Amino acid sequence: MINKADIVARIRNLPTMPGAVVRLFALAKDESSNAGDFEQVIRPDPAMTANLLRLANSAYFGCRRQVTSVRQAITLLGVERVFEIASGAFFARTMPARLPGYDVPADAFWTHCIAVAALSERLAKELGFEAPSLTFTAGLLHDAGKLVIGSFLLEESERFVSSLRVEDATLVEVERRLLGTDHAEVGALVAESWDLPPAIGWAAQWHHLPGGIPEGVDRMLVDLVHAADCLAHSLGFGADVGELSRRVDPLVTERLGIKARRLERVASELIDQIGEMGKIFGQPPGART
Amino acid sequence: MALEGRMSGNLITVDIAEVRVSDDPGAVLVTYALGSCIAVMLHDPLRRAGGMIHFMLPLSSTSPEKAKEKPGMFADTGIPLLFGEMSRLGCEKKDLVVKVAGGGALYDDKGMFNIGQRNYTVLRKLFWKNEIIIAAEDVGGARSRTAKLHVGTGRVSIKSQGEEMEL
Repeated sequence: MINKADIVARIRNLPTMPGAVVRLFALAKDESSNAGDFEQVIRPDPAMTANLLRLANSAYFGCRRQVTSVRQAITLLGVERVFEIASGAFFARTMPARLPGYDVPADAFWTHCIAVAALSERLAKELGFEAPSLTFTAGLLHDAGKLVIGSFLLEESERFVSSLRVEDATLVEVERRLLGTDHAEVGALVAESWDLPPAIGWAAQWHHLPGGIPEGVDRMLVDLVHAADCLAHSLGFGADVGELSRRVDPLVTERLGIKARRLERVASELIDQIGEMGKIFGQPPGART
Repeated sequence: MALEGRMSGNLITVDIAEVRVSDDPGAVLVTYALGSCIAVMLHDPLRRAGGMIHFMLPLSSTSPEKAKEKPGMFADTGIPLLFGEMSRLGCEKKDLVVKVAGGGALYDDKGMFNIGQRNYTVLRKLFWKNEIIIAAEDVGGARSRTAKLHVGTGRVSIKSQGEEMEL
């Protein structure tokens, strides 16, 4: 068991959200802001500028023409997208070389995060819904809690793996039994410590047990992240030790109207784009595309 | 299209939706993170050649454009490609030892996410039609797998949740 104070201390050790990303979020919420305001925040930051241009030109974000300037990227992608890309680039930089406890290299974990971000958004479209605001970011950060509790699990790794192997227990059930908490609950705390909008924290907290969400929380966002997470693990994006040890909530399948062929179509269409995005986010700022 | 995998030493990695074959007896074909995806491994003991596909989805009709670009993504386009590539190495179907791994599943009562089961069903149908017999398999369950095929010996090992076994 670990106590809350240890977790809070570990969250404090995570890198803090850069001021530029925080300012972008404030601007995205501010209806009176304009593209010039965004440009002023982004352009002094070469890493953010490089990432924004690379992602604006990637197949997933799909601008129809070559994007060569920050201003053009903001105009074509929209302000919320720019915030999502900036926070994604920050999250990419918090990745350790290997995620302790879950037996997964950081690049595989990162690919999983990207896969859930893209699949959440694209599933909404495939199923005929409009994706809620910040769906991409909610998907990207849904497992942020793993960055915090992985090292505690490492101390319990033998019991952790044998519980997953021998029993039909799910990953979060085993985490709770060994640590008294799970990566979903801790993920919500991480989102809070980064001052992200509450919807991001809710998606992290309930992505394994979407039935548990309190009244008033946007169920759609949680449902999409849950479904995308199940699909990503099923397809092998992020082969951690507990990847298939999870339960699909049948009510989510029902609410979203999920059909097998639709899941398969989204998967086939996104696989290359997920790989491309993973590489772009992971590149150092000076690298060429 | 399918030959010449990325080689590191004599380890050839077969990525998702890829087909790789080799007649280098020192080579090992390896694929990681088989969740619901399935690896079909072929070995020809006479010619000491081996081949592997890591396919992701059952039917190419899901996305015909993707199937054109990446036939290894689907069982119905990828498996014939794998057999074709082996035959280009001079292998005959009757000599091939066929092993299968993967097709795992989450706990899903409604079965919509059970891509592994659908992958396996299409594979069995295809094998049945073409009179292909599976020598050994490790499929299903809530487990992810890494599969290795030693081209020289035909040895296949499966690693899952920290344990390794021979197939």
